[in-house]
Amino acid sequence: MLKQEFFKFDKLSVFVAIFIIFFTAVVLLYSSGFMRRRKNLIFYYLYLILTSISALGAVFSENLLLFMVFWGFLGVLLYLLIGFGDKDRTSSTAKKTFIIVGGSDAIMLLGLALVWRISGSLQMSQLSITLDTRIAILAYLCLAIGAFAKAGVMPFHTWVPDTAEDAPVPVAAFLPASLDKLLGIYFLARITLYMFKMDLAMNMILMAIGSFTIVAAVMMALIQHDLKRLLGYHAVSQVGYMVLGIGTGNPVGIAGGLFHMLNNAIYKSCLFLSGGAVEKKAGTTDLENLGGFAKYMPITFITFLIASFAISGIPPFNGFVSKWMIYQGIIETGKNGGYSWILWLVAAMFGSALTLASFMKLIHSVFLGQPSAKQKISDLKYQETVPTMWIPAVILASLCVIFGVFAYSIPLKMFIFPSLKENVSFYGVWNAGLATVLILAGIILGLIIYFIGTIARTRDSDAFIGGEVLEKNPDMRVSGTEFYDTIKDAGILKIFYRLAERKVFDIYNIGTRITFGFSGVLRSIHNGVLPSYLAWCLLGLLFLFYKLFR
Amino acid sequence: MKLFVDIIPLFVAVPMAGAFLIALVARKIKWLPALITNIITIGLVFVSFFAVKLINIHKVLVYDVGAWKPPMGIGMVLDGFTVFMLTTVNLAAFFVAIYSINYVERFTSKWKFYTLFLFMIAGANGVVITGDIFNLFVFLEIASIASCSLIAFGTEKHDLEAAFKYAVMSGVGSLFILLSIVLLYSYTSTLNMADISNVLAQKDPNNIILMISALLIMGFGLKAGLVPFHGCLPDAYTSAPAPVSAMLAGAITKSLGLYAIFRIFYNVIGMNQALSSIFMFFGALSMIVGVILAIGQWDFKRLLAYHSISQMGYIVMGIGLGTPLGILGGLFHLFNHSVFKTLLFLNSGSIEYATGKRDLQKMGGLSEQMPVTSGTCLAASMAISGIPPFNGFWSKFIIIIAAVQAGRYGYAFLAVLASILTLASFTKVMKYAFFGKLKDGANSVKEAPFLIKLSMTSLAVICITGGILLAPGVYEHFLKEAVDVILEGTKYSSVVLQAVLK
Repeated sequence: MLKQEFFKFDKLSVFVAIFIIFFTAVVLLYSSGFMRRRKNLIFYYLYLILTSISALGAVFSENLLLFMVFWGFLGVLLYLLIGFGDKDRTSSTAKKTFIIVGGSDAIMLLGLALVWRISGSLQMSQLSITLDTRIAILAYLCLAIGAFAKAGVMPFHTWVPDTAEDAPVPVAAFLPASLDKLLGIYFLARITLYMFKMDLAMNMILMAIGSFTIVAAVMMALIQHDLKRLLGYHAVSQVGYMVLGIGTGNPVGIAGGLFHMLNNAIYKSCLFLSGGAVEKKAGTTDLENLGGFAKYMPITFITFLIASFAISGIPPFNGFVSKWMIYQGIIETGKNGGYSWILWLVAAMFGSALTLASFMKLIHSVFLGQPSAKQKISDLKYQETVPTMWIPAVILASLCVIFGVFAYSIPLKMFIFPSLKENVSFYGVWNAGLATVLILAGIILGLIIYFIGTIARTRDSDAFIGGEVLEKNPDMRVSGTEFYDTIKDAGILKIFYRLAERKVFDIYNIGTRITFGFSGVLRSIHNGVLPSYLAWCLLGLLFLFYKLFR
Repeated sequence: MKLFVDIIPLFVAVPMAGAFLIALVARKIKWLPALITNIITIGLVFVSFFAVKLINIHKVLVYDVGAWKPPMGIGMVLDGFTVFMLTTVNLAAFFVAIYSINYVERFTSKWKFYTLFLFMIAGANGVVITGDIFNLFVFLEIASIASCSLIAFGTEKHDLEAAFKYAVMSGVGSLFILLSIVLLYSYTSTLNMADISNVLAQKDPNNIILMISALLIMGFGLKAGLVPFHGCLPDAYTSAPAPVSAMLAGAITKSLGLYAIFRIFYNVIGMNQALSSIFMFFGALSMIVGVILAIGQWDFKRLLAYHSISQMGYIVMGIGLGTPLGILGGLFHLFNHSVFKTLLFLNSGSIEYATGKRDLQKMGGLSEQMPVTSGTCLAASMAISGIPPFNGFWSKFIIIIAAVQAGRYGYAFLAVLASILTLASFTKVMKYAFFGKLKDGANSVKEAPFLIKLSMTSLAVICITGGILLAPGVYEHFLKEAVDVILEGTKYSSVVLQAVLK
């Protein structure tokens, strides 16, 4: 066993590893600004570095057991890192996260055992399992559950919004938003593309899970009123695209899924880091109490805006390219017959539209609109954050632009295509360069018209509502939090939202209830009365006699 | 070779001599009992390590008590399984003894504690090392009575109640064991385990063996605390002083219950399919029932007690599988469980020492005040939940793989389920005891004294590095020897009887 290879460096793992290192560097830089003056910082940085090392170990592991060791250790580190948050619910969130992530690791362990039973080997590159027996399907599902829980695919997603809300921002940006996505989708790609031979039915299941995740999570995001929690739900929703892309089973779709994994990590961590800058200044992430920050934090506003466009799939940013590839992949599956692809396509596009809608609300509530009454405008602290906090966001935002505009010549050519086994062929090539020029031209034209118009006809004036100055009337302010509250009361959605808010769909809550139900029953029998304990012994003895003398 | 055979009786004679020495001589001098106990436990650890080396060379050694050759006289047998158990037991005893130096300060008449503690070790070692089934019963009783008195050591109301329950249940167990020994003796006319096995092999299968098997499983099941024979265990673990709970969970139940059960069923009576499925059933039942009960508890020690039952289930399931991998997993889990459960009980004792509390709801935020306890408890919690790279992960993984390999998918799934629930209940412990906000009035809480910290830290280091025992080069010397002895089955008799002649 020792002689066998432990590590292996192929294109896919090197690609993921490069970005793990990149995100570690970004988050370390950001943390030096954000985490200042907190306790036990030495442990914080130790855990961050260990996380990075374990993640690298995991992607380079050739042996599944070794992979499992690194992978499981990441769960512990996530648990410890969340503990650095200072909210009241932090410790509950850490507990919940660890139970879901660690629990799914235990299921993965079962998957590992099944793989060994089937093929007698745990070397990733030697495995090629066809999904023709029930055991093989079970093994695939067990391993996929591990990947799903790490990446936050429904129904194992409930820890992501909680962690996003209660963990320190750099941790939320580092683990749930970027690193866990990279790893989860990396492993999903690894098992789907290399270790198992997929069939149509399993691809269909993946696509269904992906589509459902996209739509359900974005619907939840629409009604959130906490900045970080809302971002957390988007983190879940975006994973749906990656699973959908990988589930298509054709090269374009898979390349799109992997590219989306990278893009999502970039813009989602950018969103979290920019959001964190706002949190640091405002001291809150409740959308009710935010507003008008564009004036005070222009750099943060611009980075947040670019990332929002990217996540909503607006050209020419990177999110658009990968979504476009995923759409192509879905259409490609239509060639296999059946009409289900229309459903997946609609779900993906609908999810994209809702993402845009939800980010309009977010940008309005945080950066535009009127400042909330609870903020003291004159306060000196309302200015741009320290450079260590905005530089990482600027780097990420510029990557959003670069990877969008030069999608084919840089990220796809350098990272994505080499990591796939097959060649990728597009049939609807999207010319990013031309479109960018046109968009830029449009914007410049618009600016020219705006300035000409302004110079010619208008004059500046204070906002005027009913004869009052707006700033002095907090009641007149539109915070934007309630933009989409109407859908909460719309028909059948009302029921689902009610149930979701009571956490009926939360796999953690369901599990807790069942367990404590059993626990209550069992505890009621343990009444501490000696004769009843002795009676059980007797029952056990009778059982033994029955089994032995049968 | 004859030179080294003489170390065998030391495992029993030294602690017993120490016990009498403390009771007779050292009771007047305050610091002497602790010193004697610690010297003895550290000595026993070294002798155990030496015995491991010895077994690597000789495989089996037999000591004739009073120079009477077995099967006529009483023989003490040292083989792979025995040294494995001796190392486990004495390592736990060693760390608990260091811990006790500080912890027992609060009790009056410390010398009684140490006397009983040494008797407990003598009993546990004796059960493991003897080759005579009646002798085994005698040592079993020594350990049981010593632990019963130690459970009552606090002499509060609930301590006495728990000790009473333990006395009754343990007495019932001993009675059934004695009955089955009597039946076995009447059937085979010998008490030497190797000889019994020899005689049984020459006779035709008989229903009396089934009767004996049922009685033995129940009797040793009571000692090991398997569901449904576990009734008294949670009370006993909760009421006993922390070092005693740690010894009970880490050493006593293992050598009195598990060692005896597997030695007798694998090496003396002989394993078969029906027995294997019974063990796996009881193992899985204990695993699930234990953990489900544990997760609802708020008393830290009671929670640990139920986890003990659950982890015993893993061991029994693993060894009960009967495949080489299953036995390896079960034995390794036995060792690991001994380490991390001892540590967890010591952690609970350390919290009780510092704050006087056992109720998780009344703790909170202790990680700042008690960093060592918190850190070591985290390591042990991760180990018991099977999180890589802690030691519990490896053994659980082997058990799961073994179950899958044997085609027992249902049992493998139950093991995974129990593992998830274990994780859930230990994150609960961490959350309520160590994380979150400090409770009012807990600002003055101080970390436990040095020796308590030393003992806990060393155990935590073993938790983290325990996986090394599986590494090639280490594995052959320790675990493999034990696995081989169980796997050789009833060939044990010829191996031992040959060793007697040498």
